Amino acid sequence: MSPELEKCPRSLLVCEKSNFLNEKSRHDFHVSKHNFNYKISVLMPECGMLPANISTVINSFSHYYLVRALPVHELLEETFLESLVKKGHFYALSYNTKIDEDNSIALLSSGQLILSLDKDTYEQLGLEGRPSLYNHGKAMRLVVTLDLTDKSLSPGSKRYQRVLSSLKDRLPLRYDFFFTKYNTGADEEKTLNKLLSQYSYEEHKPAVSHQTLKEIPCPTLYPSDIQGKTLSCDPHHFLEWLGAVNLDISCENAADSFLSTYVCPEPQSSVSQALLCTVTGFISPENVFALLKELRQYFDEPRFTPWVSLTVHGFMDSPVSWGATEHRFLKGGENFYNFVCFKNQDYWLHMATGAQDGCPP
Amino acid sequence: FPGVVQSRIPPEQSDILGVESQHGTAADALTKAFLKNSLPHMKDEDVEEMMLRKAVVLEYKRPMKKKGKTRKAKGLNAKERRQLKIFQLKPEHQKYDLFLPLHELWKQYIVDLCNGLKPGSNPQMIQQKLLKADFHGAVLTVVRSKCPSYVGLTGILVQELKHVFKIITKEDKLKVIPKRNSVFSVEIGDFVTHIYGSKFELRSSERSAKKFKIKGTIDL
Repeated sequence: MSPELEKCPRSLLVCEKSNFLNEKSRHDFHVSKHNFNYKISVLMPECGMLPANISTVINSFSHYYLVRALPVHELLEETFLESLVKKGHFYALSYNTKIDEDNSIALLSSGQLILSLDKDTYEQLGLEGRPSLYNHGKAMRLVVTLDLTDKSLSPGSKRYQRVLSSLKDRLPLRYDFFFTKYNTGADEEKTLNKLLSQYSYEEHKPAVSHQTLKEIPCPTLYPSDIQGKTLSCDPHHFLEWLGAVNLDISCENAADSFLSTYVCPEPQSSVSQALLCTVTGFISPENVFALLKELRQYFDEPRFTPWVSLTVHGFMDSPVSWGATEHRFLKGGENFYNFVCFKNQDYWLHMATGAQDGCPP
Repeated sequence: FPGVVQSRIPPEQSDILGVESQHGTAADALTKAFLKNSLPHMKDEDVEEMMLRKAVVLEYKRPMKKKGKTRKAKGLNAKERRQLKIFQLKPEHQKYDLFLPLHELWKQYIVDLCNGLKPGSNPQMIQQKLLKADFHGAVLTVVRSKCPSYVGLTGILVQELKHVFKIITKEDKLKVIPKRNSVFSVEIGDFVTHIYGSKFELRSSERSAKKFKIKGTIDL
């Protein structure tokens, strides 16, 4: 391998091709496993206005809360555990904590509490964990995983007492948290509100923005050729172009432009207009799944374009990417996935992660 | 000269020995000459004087005092100690309450050592004294440790060995905590001291003689 390539941190791209109607299709599994989503962008070529069903779904995305200075032991509190954590569909992520510098806490919908701690915090806290998979030699970062749904951590057991006393008395950790939940009942609302009322919090709605792009070249994609050998373009180039479109980078590769040499990958065709819709916030996977369902229905009527794409980005500083797979930040903390939906309900799924990440499922 | 110096060899023995004893005057003359040669060259009177006074006791000699190497009280070696089990607390002795008076004594000892713990005393001075102090009877708490299950243990120090602390917790459990890779905290009146166990791996008796050097930061 050439020396330049060795210096570059690696990135992983997993491409999957299947059909939504296929019963063995794992699109719901992949979507539900990716717990923390930051940004969703939908690109619809040959479309001027956002279809009504899609905009309804986007507007009905659940709200998320930003709680300031919440002690971590509150997540272990008994009523909170019973009503919110054990029922699932509740997500929490510590805000403004860099994964490579500070301690980072995440609560998954499966009931697992992940604490990604630096060495000093781990030594003082007193909970058993294992070293991070991406340490080089000296164990600078350690991960403590607590399964809150496990019997050994049920309130009243010795282990629960120890965990609670560690987080409460020995080393009280407080962080700002993002909370979001999906479709929970009145009891859960009450418990959550009771907890939130003790601390200062803000409620947010995911921010939506639209943009109509005119006269842009678009790559042609055929569902059967995911690898980009003959009919479609290469997935790396396609994703690169998609990112350029999202960021409004010109892909003309004009001779006098030194800023960008990005080009639309071949084979391409020119479209008169394309719609780019972006939703930003702390979005739960269930919302993403609802949006995906609506997007599939876009092709119920005849459309000009053969494909639409949905990109979901994860948080750079989240301690996990898919499920409980560890995620770290080397030179970039990307963990995203991209659906390309075709007319005949075929889809492509690209899942990409950065250097210090496990392979996506 | 009186006394028998010579006598005749019985004839049987003379055959065996192969010598013939001489008789009479020749024997006397020979004896006299022999004696004269053997005796020191002194006047006869001096010789007699020398012999008169001293009684050469041949049989009853005073036994010489054997000095030998003075052996120090060697004490038992580790094997014997383990067999005698002198350092093992019997279960009926493992009660936290029994050690509370020891703790009180230790508190008194420390207060005396530091010339009365006034809130305004210099921490440096106290630290110097504590480096050489004995900690038996102190209440130790593990504050940081590379192994997280040790963190949080508190108890009275019962025994300090070279590499471990033996403490007894409030639940009457005897816990053995290795010193390495742990930080202990000791509360003395209003002061709290943190002991980095990795640097303290000495027997308490040897620690009083050791000079501690200041070396950079200590990371576990």
